[in-house]
Amino acid sequence: MIRIWLAGLLRKSPARLLAAAGGISIAVALVAGLGSFLVTSQATMTQRAAAQVAVDWQVQVAAHRDPNAVLNAVRSAPGTVAALPVGFADSPGLHATAGGTTQDTGAAKVLGLPPGYATTFPLSIRLLTGSQNGVLVAQQTAANLHVTPGDQVRVSRAGLAPYWVKVAGVVELPQADSLFQRVGAPSQSQPVAPPDNVILLPAAQFQAEYAGLAKTRPDLVTTQIHARRDHAGLPTDPSSAFTAETGAANNLAVRTSGAAVVGNNLGASLDAARGDASYARILFLFLGAPGALLAAGLTAAITQAGADRRRKEQSLLRARGSTPTQLIRLVLVEAAVVGVLGGLIGLGVAAVIGAASSWPWDLAAGLAGLAIAAAVVAVPAIRDLRAVAAGESAKVTQRTQPAWMRFGLDVVLIALGLGVFWASGQNKYTLVLAPEGVPTISVNYWAFLAPALAWLGCGLLCWRIADTVLVRGRRVVAWASRPVLGPLSQTVASMLMRQRRLVSRSAVLVALALAFAVSTATFNATYRQQAEVDAQLTNGADVTVVESPGAHATPADAAQLASVSGVKAVEPLQHRFAYVGNDLQDLYGINPSTVTRATTLQDAYFQGATAAQSLAQLKSRPDAILVSAETVNDFQLNPGDLVKLRLQDAQTHTYRSVSFHFVGIVNEFPTAPKDSFLVANADYIAQQTGSDAVGTFLVSTGGSNVSAVADRIRNVVGTTGSVGTINDARGLVGSSLTSVDLAKLTRLELAFALLIAAASGGLVIGLGIAERRRAIAVATGLGATRRQVRRFGSAEPAYVLLVGTVCGLATGWGLSYLLVKVLTGVFDPPPTGLTAPWGYLAALIACTVAAVGFASVVVIERARRRARSLLRAI
Amino acid sequence: MNTSTGARPALPRDPGTSTSLVVCDAAGRTFGHGSVAVVAVHGASCVVSSSSRVALVGPSGSGKSTLLQLMAGLDTPTSGSVSWPAWDSGPFQDPSRAGMVFQGLSLIPSITAVENVAFPLLLQGFSHKQAIALAIESLDLLAITGLADKLPEELSGGQAQRVAVARVVTSRPRLIFADEPTGQLDRVSGDRVIDVLLEAADHLGAGLVLSTHDAAVAGRLDQTWRMHDGELVVAA
Ligand SMILES: Nc1ncnc2c1ncn2[C@@H]1O[C@H](COP(=O)(O)OP(=O)(O)OP(=O)(O)O)[C@@H](O)[C@H]1O
Ligand SMILES: [Mg+2]
Repeated sequence: MIRIWLAGLLRKSPARLLAAAGGISIAVALVAGLGSFLVTSQATMTQRAAAQVAVDWQVQVAAHRDPNAVLNAVRSAPGTVAALPVGFADSPGLHATAGGTTQDTGAAKVLGLPPGYATTFPLSIRLLTGSQNGVLVAQQTAANLHVTPGDQVRVSRAGLAPYWVKVAGVVELPQADSLFQRVGAPSQSQPVAPPDNVILLPAAQFQAEYAGLAKTRPDLVTTQIHARRDHAGLPTDPSSAFTAETGAANNLAVRTSGAAVVGNNLGASLDAARGDASYARILFLFLGAPGALLAAGLTAAITQAGADRRRKEQSLLRARGSTPTQLIRLVLVEAAVVGVLGGLIGLGVAAVIGAASSWPWDLAAGLAGLAIAAAVVAVPAIRDLRAVAAGESAKVTQRTQPAWMRFGLDVVLIALGLGVFWASGQNKYTLVLAPEGVPTISVNYWAFLAPALAWLGCGLLCWRIADTVLVRGRRVVAWASRPVLGPLSQTVASMLMRQRRLVSRSAVLVALALAFAVSTATFNATYRQQAEVDAQLTNGADVTVVESPGAHATPADAAQLASVSGVKAVEPLQHRFAYVGNDLQDLYGINPSTVTRATTLQDAYFQGATAAQSLAQLKSRPDAILVSAETVNDFQLNPGDLVKLRLQDAQTHTYRSVSFHFVGIVNEFPTAPKDSFLVANADYIAQQTGSDAVGTFLVSTGGSNVSAVADRIRNVVGTTGSVGTINDARGLVGSSLTSVDLAKLTRLELAFALLIAAASGGLVIGLGIAERRRAIAVATGLGATRRQVRRFGSAEPAYVLLVGTVCGLATGWGLSYLLVKVLTGVFDPPPTGLTAPWGYLAALIACTVAAVGFASVVVIERARRRARSLLRAI
Repeated sequence: MNTSTGARPALPRDPGTSTSLVVCDAAGRTFGHGSVAVVAVHGASCVVSSSSRVALVGPSGSGKSTLLQLMAGLDTPTSGSVSWPAWDSGPFQDPSRAGMVFQGLSLIPSITAVENVAFPLLLQGFSHKQAIALAIESLDLLAITGLADKLPEELSGGQAQRVAVARVVTSRPRLIFADEPTGQLDRVSGDRVIDVLLEAADHLGAGLVLSTHDAAVAGRLDQTWRMHDGELVVAA
């Protein structure tokens, strides 16, 4: 019997069956596609997090324990690729005489590096000038001592005579913070800043100078084992990788019975990535769940359209003696067929677009498909079966308001959503709580609830609006449609009013689909915009030339760069260090009139004023200065207050006091660090310090040909400066989620959103609800002209489209706002406003209108052509 | 009916002068081509005048509906010809020439009875107000004013068919066709629909052709035409 029924099903309504399976396949493909994106993006995060660590493990050898034993233990730990011992010693101070002046520094760190250290840990040391072989001094130290390669430095030792070394090279220590961490100490007792003075000796030299001291003062001379771990073998998702690395580190500590304390840099980096991974999961949920829900709604609309026929068949089968159990079994078989078919198509589509790769997600997607089939095919059919058994018949028009409308569920949902939004705003929208060092990570899924509730609430509100306009605003509808419908307008308004349930439901589906597409697109556009801002903030401009220490570039050198082909603008940026009280901060000297030619300044970089206002403030007086919010707090500054900084004089190399006037607050600035810094007028700084030396040239290429222009600039600059591009920065931007390439997800999402929006528009109209077909056939039978029939038949699609589009766009825009706010943590820096993806929005509306238009023309023409047989069959 | 008729032209009220309204000359209608071709009507010849009261009878599938549609100008013959001597084009273009009561329920589901009755007038360009006033007149004429504000789903089959007749009446056609107007009704309701149709035809001075399976219904009309396998036999 089942086989006969199935054959009948496939023969009688293959289109409807396929359409239902198609709806389900959208949901399945979406879930499978997003799931595989999630898996790959998590793997990328793990690899990126691991790749940016210079030294994976810094294992501190406990006092009086044998470094060699610890070295062997680290080397034999599973997953260790290479391990080298590094000596650490404290020096009371350094001294140098260079260029006729003598400099002394405060306490310094002396490191002993074994041969091959730089190649084993390539990210730990970057040579700026000179040679890598021999004694190296850190950039800041070289600046403090005024030494360059070839100069001599005297290193003091506690309780012993000082010794002299000859500087071979000047280096940057990009990850000085973790290099000089206090291994094993909790984060709050870590040093605030890395040491100012660092000198790196070859291991043999270190051994010669400190072997004795190590015995008498083990507190001053210690050994760390630096290890590189196997990154390729890490579990793919950051959480598991973090757990594995933490476990390995603990294991080492236990095996060496306390001789080894592990500074787990790799673990810390993975820890941060765990948070990002959770964000990715949230994004996945945020973007995927509504899509899947909509696809389910679409499938429901398709099966709904066939409900009449199904009810007739059911009564027929009942009349022929089928038992309810048999009928239920048939319904379940139908649902299973639709579900399995939809699942297979969906997974096939996901595989074709190259998005299916992980079987757990494929399985989950398949199960979701079956669940949707059960919910939208089986459940209503079984409910109908009961109704058929009870002898009820479906009514076309419903006079009473739906219960939810009477209880104001829409308003309640929106209010709840805003309440949750407000409450999560109290926590600064922290979605992911990842207390440092704690292996579990908690995601605040509650914040997530706000947009979800708002989305549903707005959907219902759209229903209420569509409904209310038809009931209360019947006159307005009639009046508005009069120019097109003429005398028919009032009748059409009553028709719409009585069919408002169907009409409103269609409008809601269109609105929700559009809202989904709009919010996804807007979120993505804003996200990309911010990623771009972040990259530009990090690199400073499309291309930047950072002058090497010792290269004395002046603003005049900009002309040379400006002549490179492809360069649109060049802007010199002074970079100095200034003492604010006892605090050493970066100071940037700019020309406020021209700086924006080469770089973009967002309003969000400044506090209490826009970018333009801040620059104008700076221009208003030569000694104006912008400082960080933290500094304003620390020194209780008010606008116009005098700020005294100590700046190094170019002639005397001594720090002298320079007066500035505080005019505004700056939080972010191109190339500036994330913590406190200062921005002032370059001319004033040059005049006060006697040097117009430029630290960085910001180069704009107008956004195009960045790499090619950078290569040309590299040829011009040679070794006097290092050239960075915004492209490098894009791949590098911290561990934040912005670094995860969302392009694929975005494309997938936007394509699905467009598809769903167009499909819902087309389907709610095109499914040829029996009512509408009959009305069109009757009008044709009564002698309406083709033109009249077209206009008459277009009234409902037009209304659905109008209300759906207006509500959808409004909801989408509001939702984007909520999304961007709730997902603030994803953005760095936070966006000033939403970025509208105009092109996509236009395409979205065009596709939806086209789908609705096409569907209604098809329905009208078909009903018109078949009017005679329709009228006979009624 | 003698109340407000507005600016509508007076009707030719004389049933005695029976003008020929439809002339079928060996009209035929074949659906499909070749081996799947179905000859629904085969060379039918007949004349309908304003005084005609014709019952078209025949077994199911014999071509009754097809012939009615040919005569109403809703369909065109594939052989022979159908002509309307009183007009230069088919009556279908103009609801004031011919009206059709369809076989099943043909009311628009989501508008009330009176709006359904007014619908053809709206298509003709009458204002909503005028159309409703005329529709109420028609309902009045058929004594079903009480149904005016009911929705089709609230009407019984017979009531719905009487509303459909009223809808034809509002356009004041010269020809009324009814395709099995009592097919789905019981005897009493069926009789009342026939009453209403005859009354309307008399009132409008229009020719009436209705198809039926029911001999009792056929007996109430002046003439009975028989159809069998597409062949029409016109009895005097
Ligand atoms: N649009 C069509 N396409 C194909 N065949 C048709 C079409 N309309 C009618 N027919 C066929 O023409 C023949 C006559 O049909 P018609 O509907 O005129 O018969 P009828 O006498 O009105 O039958 P019933 O009493 O059942 O209403 C039938 O065989 C029918 O199948
Ligand atoms: Mg028939």
